[in-house]
Amino acid sequence: MMGKPKVAILGFGLVGRVAALMLHEKCHVSVYEASDEHASSSAGALAAAMLAPLAESVICETDLAELGLKSMAMWPSLLAKLPEPVFFQQMGTLIVAHAQDKGDLNSFSQRLKPLKGQEAQVLNSAYINELEPELAGRFHQGLYLPCEGQLDNLAFYRSSFAYLQKSDVQFNFNHQIELLTTPSEPVLIDGQQFDWVIDCRGLGAQNESADLRGVRGEVARVHAPEVELNRPVRLMHPRYPIYIAPKPNNEFVIGATEIESQDNGPITVRSTLELLSAAYTVHSGFSEARVIAINAGLRPAFSDNRPRVEHCGNVIRINGLYRHGYLLAPALVSEALSKGLL
Amino acid sequence: MRENTPLTIYGETFSNRLLIGSALYPSPKIMQESIVAAGSEIVTVSLRRQNSVAAGEDFWQLIKDTGLTVLPNTAGCHSVKEVVTLAKMCREVFVTDWIKLELIGDEYNLQPDPIALLEATEILLNDGFKVLPYCTDDLVLCQRLAALGCEVLMPWGAPIGTGKGLLNPYNLKTIRERLPDMTLIVDAGLGLPSHACQALEMGYDAVLLNSAIAGAGCPVSMAKAFSHAVSAGRSAYLAQAMPEKEVAAPSTPTMGMPFWHQ
Repeated sequence: MMGKPKVAILGFGLVGRVAALMLHEKCHVSVYEASDEHASSSAGALAAAMLAPLAESVICETDLAELGLKSMAMWPSLLAKLPEPVFFQQMGTLIVAHAQDKGDLNSFSQRLKPLKGQEAQVLNSAYINELEPELAGRFHQGLYLPCEGQLDNLAFYRSSFAYLQKSDVQFNFNHQIELLTTPSEPVLIDGQQFDWVIDCRGLGAQNESADLRGVRGEVARVHAPEVELNRPVRLMHPRYPIYIAPKPNNEFVIGATEIESQDNGPITVRSTLELLSAAYTVHSGFSEARVIAINAGLRPAFSDNRPRVEHCGNVIRINGLYRHGYLLAPALVSEALSKGLL
Repeated sequence: MRENTPLTIYGETFSNRLLIGSALYPSPKIMQESIVAAGSEIVTVSLRRQNSVAAGEDFWQLIKDTGLTVLPNTAGCHSVKEVVTLAKMCREVFVTDWIKLELIGDEYNLQPDPIALLEATEILLNDGFKVLPYCTDDLVLCQRLAALGCEVLMPWGAPIGTGKGLLNPYNLKTIRERLPDMTLIVDAGLGLPSHACQALEMGYDAVLLNSAIAGAGCPVSMAKAFSHAVSAGRSAYLAQAMPEKEVAAPSTPTMGMPFWHQ
C-alpha cells in the first residue's frame, strides 16, 4: 500500500494556508515560506477580507463571481476546524454614496451582473437606518447586497498556523524557493523529493512569470469604540471601492486603495487622508478612533486580472488572485487540487 | 469640401483623431485591447500615482508595448511646482518632450486652474517642452496660451469623468473660429460617441478621452464606437454641413402651388 503523498507548499500566505488546511490530513505537507509564520507582507495579511461576489461582479466576469459564491459556502467548514474561532460574518454589504458621487452609485448598480438569484436591494434612508442605525440621516440612498460577507484575516492567519503547527505539517520559514520552469519528477525542493508541489508564492514567483505584476493597496486598521456597524459599508469613490469592514472588538479595516504600482513602501499622506476621511464622512465616531496599523502591500495579478491555475507535471501553480483572495481561495484551491490530490 | 489635413501636434502628423487614456480599465489586458479597437495612435499616461519611477515600470511597459506615441500627463498636480517637477520626470521616463499639462484648481470637479496653468506653461515652454495644456473653454485663456507659443490646446468638454459631453458648444465654436490655425483637441467630459462626433463636426482636430471607454460596460466595443464617431464627425466637417435655417424648406417643390409660394 502506498503511503501518503509528500507535498511541498511554497508560500504561506492565504492560498498556501488554505491549501495546507485542505491537504494536511491526506498528505505529508511541508511548507516553505520566504518570511516568517505571519507572512505579513502577503496580500492576505493586509486585506479587508471581504467576501463580496455580487459587488465584485461589476469588475470581474460572471464565472469568477460564481466561484466567489461557491467559496462563501466553503469558508464556514474550513474555519470550523480551527481551534481559535475566526470571525466570519454573512450579513450582507451596505453600499452608500455621498450626494456628489450619486452617479457612481447608479452606474455601479447598473453593472451588477445577474448572479444565481442573488440580487441587490435599492434602499431609501429609512431602510438604511434600519440596517445601520448609527448611519441615520447621513445617506438618502444606497444598495444592500444580502449575500455578501467578510472574515477576520488576522485571526485566520493566526488560527490556521496554530492548528497546522499541531498537526504533522513541517514548517520551513525564512526559506525562499526558486522553482524551475520545467521541474523534474519527482520534484526536488531543498534537496528533498516531493510527489507534488503547490506553488502559492504570489509575487514571490514573479521572476518565473512574465506577466505577473503587483497592484499596490493601502489599508488602515483602527479601533473605534464609538462606532457600531453591523456589517461592512462600502463607500463609492471615484477611483477605488473603499470598504469599512467591522471586525470584532470595535476594530475596523478601512481600505483599500488600488494603484498600478509595484512600490510596497509606506502609505502616502494622500492615501491616508482619503481612507481616513472616507471613514469619517461615513461616521463621525471615527474621529476619536485609534489607528492600530496602516499598511501598504502588493496584490499579485496577471494582465487580465484573473487568477490562474497551472498544472505542470506534479507542480500546481495557483497565483494572480488580485483583489479577490478571500473571495476565491477556497473554491479555487479546491478545484486546483482536485486534479490528482483531493 | 474642405481640404483634409492630418492631425498635427508640434510638427508630427497623425491620421487617427482619437487620443486615448490608460487609466481605470477593468484590467491591463482590456486596456490594451481597447486601445487597439480605438485605433488610437497616441495614448496618455499618468506618472503621478505610481509612487516611484521604478515601481510603475511594469505598467508603463504594457503601454510602451502598444507601440503608440506616449503623451505623459500631469494628472493629480495642484501647483506650478508640482507640475514642473512631474513634467521633468515624465521627460526622463518616457523620453519625450511632449507633456499634457493638467493643473487642477478645484479638487472636486477637477477644474483646471487657468492662472497657474499660464505660469506653468510658460516655464515648461521655456524649458523646451512641447506643452499640450488641458484648459477650460475660455477664449481669452486659449488666446493667452496661444500667445505663449502653444501649438496645441485642449479645452474641456465638461469636467473630467462626468460624461456630460460638450456643455458649452458656443464657447467651443468661438475658440475654433477665433484660433483657426491652432490644433484643438477636446479633452475630458465626453461620455458618448455622439459627443466626440459633435466635437469633430465643429472642426476640432481630435478628442481625448478615457473614462467614456474605460468605464463602459464593454470598453473594447465602446472604443470601436468612438472610433466610428470620430471618423463620422471628421467626414461631416470636411463635407461642410448645410446651414441651419429657422423655417422649413421643402426638399421637393410642391405641385399646384404658385412658384413664388414655394
